[in-house]
Amino acid sequence: MSLSATQPGVGRSVLVGGAATDGAGSATHSGPTDWATLRRFSERHYEPSWLRDLRSAWWQRYQDTPLPSGQEEEWRRTPLADLPRNAELLLDAPATELDHDADLAARGVIFTDLRTAVREHPELVRAHLGIGEPVESHAAFWALSLAAWTAGTFLYVPRGVEVDGTLIARLVTDRADVAFVPHTIVAAEPGASVTVLEELVSADGAAGWFGGTVEIHAQEGSRIRYARLQRLGDGVWNIGAQRVVVGTDAEVTTLNAEVGSRVTKVGLDVQMTGRGGVSRVLGLLAAGGDQHIDINSVQELVGSHTTSDLLYLAALYDRAHAAFYGRIVVRPGAKQTSSYQECRNLLLSPGAGAEPIPVLEIETNDILRCGHGATAGAIDPVQLFYAQSRGLDADEAERMIVRGFFEQVVGQISSETIKALVLDALARRIGSSTAFDEADEADAA
Amino acid sequence: MTDELVVSGLEVSIGTKKILRGVDLAVKQGEVHALMGPNGSGKTSLAYTLMGHPDYRVDAGSITWKGENLLGLAPDKRARLGVFLAFQYPSAIPGVTVASFLRNIYNAVHAPKPAPGGGENGQVPKYTGIPLAKFRRMLEEQMALLKMDPGFAARYVNDGFSGGEKKRLEMLQMAILGPRLAILDETDSGLDIDALRTVAEGINATLSPQMGVLLITHYQRMLNYVKPHFVHVLMGGRIVMSGGEELSHQLEANGYEWVREQVGEPEGVADEAPEPVAEHA
Repeated sequence: MSLSATQPGVGRSVLVGGAATDGAGSATHSGPTDWATLRRFSERHYEPSWLRDLRSAWWQRYQDTPLPSGQEEEWRRTPLADLPRNAELLLDAPATELDHDADLAARGVIFTDLRTAVREHPELVRAHLGIGEPVESHAAFWALSLAAWTAGTFLYVPRGVEVDGTLIARLVTDRADVAFVPHTIVAAEPGASVTVLEELVSADGAAGWFGGTVEIHAQEGSRIRYARLQRLGDGVWNIGAQRVVVGTDAEVTTLNAEVGSRVTKVGLDVQMTGRGGVSRVLGLLAAGGDQHIDINSVQELVGSHTTSDLLYLAALYDRAHAAFYGRIVVRPGAKQTSSYQECRNLLLSPGAGAEPIPVLEIETNDILRCGHGATAGAIDPVQLFYAQSRGLDADEAERMIVRGFFEQVVGQISSETIKALVLDALARRIGSSTAFDEADEADAA
Repeated sequence: MTDELVVSGLEVSIGTKKILRGVDLAVKQGEVHALMGPNGSGKTSLAYTLMGHPDYRVDAGSITWKGENLLGLAPDKRARLGVFLAFQYPSAIPGVTVASFLRNIYNAVHAPKPAPGGGENGQVPKYTGIPLAKFRRMLEEQMALLKMDPGFAARYVNDGFSGGEKKRLEMLQMAILGPRLAILDETDSGLDIDALRTVAEGINATLSPQMGVLLITHYQRMLNYVKPHFVHVLMGGRIVMSGGEELSHQLEANGYEWVREQVGEPEGVADEAPEPVAEHA
């Protein structure tokens, strides 16, 4: 086992220390950190040995997993050449800021920073951290995050507990030029119910690497509504992955609102494992400037009578580009499933572009429904003329049409808190339409 | 100054195609003018040009409204001057409810114009629009008049509407905005007899001595309900014949072939005139 390895092409040595029992082998590719640093980090935080072993195993996995070459179908549209791969890992990461009802703890709900959860509820963290295989398209990044996370959010809802209202977790850093790798766990025991928003904010300016990963475990009959509001800085490469496992008769809605970042390249993996499970996979993208957003989704239907519907809407301004490569996989044993993926892109400037690519892999004849819809186009000029002929100026007419376009997803957000925060973030890009100010007022009246 | 639309020598092209070849027309307040003509004669093009559709290029002539030149004004500015166009094929605006759309356009059209140089301290008080309760009452009254189900207000604008529902929504918008000049582009097309009567009653209820109407139609049947003071025939991009209400009956009886015999085949044969692209949207 070598103690050091020189990375060709990047002109940087990565020191890999420690004995063979560390599980840290020779580096096959450079990254924002090295095993010695991670081990020191783990020791300094008095992490239990099982966690250090887990980090070590994932670090080994990271070393053994090649970074995407760009030849993969999922990676053809997002070259990694400019990924700031040598940005230093943010060790002194901020704790998650939490907003919730104090008496939740009395009901056994744990909603805390992931590092705090390791200290206070190690067995629960152990039961939910890094379960299963990596999200396939993002395997190397998934492994890196499980090895190198320094911050994150932990939400656990015990059996039968229904949490009212909306929990909010904010991860805010004023640094941009770093690699920030937080990990989030949302776990609902049988019959539990919870709604949570996670907001990610970082500074504009320098190039950085954000490698946030999410694991959602919905056990039998539970209901999870998870929203992720991405407001990262304008130099950030957001290379994240999310794994959702939907158990028997469980119901999960995820919403990813992508507003910030320079590049966003997110892998979504929705596993419909239990019989009768339901998932809604929602996305709202508002991008401008030279932003590039590339989503890879997999909806894998394993259990019978499962339902999974994906709907991503993108409003693209300036020279922004959105790619979407989404797969639905219906496994042979999955009977009577229903699945759909829809990706719609509104191009608000001649320089904006979108490439939605749906793939259906159906390995059984016994399905109720499986389909896709993909569109990309400008606002119909007649529609704009129609709105203008009613007295709305061109800008307000466009804002109203874009906001109306988003309503297909916004209307599915049951939490008014989440709706307001997401719309406020989107308004920075799409503006705010007076037609909807009034609708809000009417709702309140 | 009376509210008067004056169109004079209007020539309009779309792309390289000449569509209107010198239209002269004057609509005073309180007058209903019916504009009839075969397919492709330029009726919708005239309506779009009056409203300021950017694809219709005015090559010559003028359009004035209350003495003010409309050419060069954006459609929303024309709307705020009291001009309204009921579309033959109204657009859907998914995600925007009828109620919020109507209140928004009401406020846009009725917003007070900012005083020149701003108000005191340069501050213009924020216009908050018509109070919600007052607007709702007005909406309910107008919807009842058009025999519209109250649930209609919560639907998205023209999204999945039947032809008749779309035309009713056009009339509802006209009633809410209260224009001084209404251009109704084939508002009767696609309506069955009952819907036609309801829509016509809606038009008659909105009509006032202060309002001028340009009613574009293929058929005489609409004119049984909305009585025109003048009838014009547009053919080959020109108004080739004008008269009173009796002209619509002559057209009904004799067809446009009779007009061609009377005035001679106009240049720019009807069949060659392009349908406006937008109509197919």
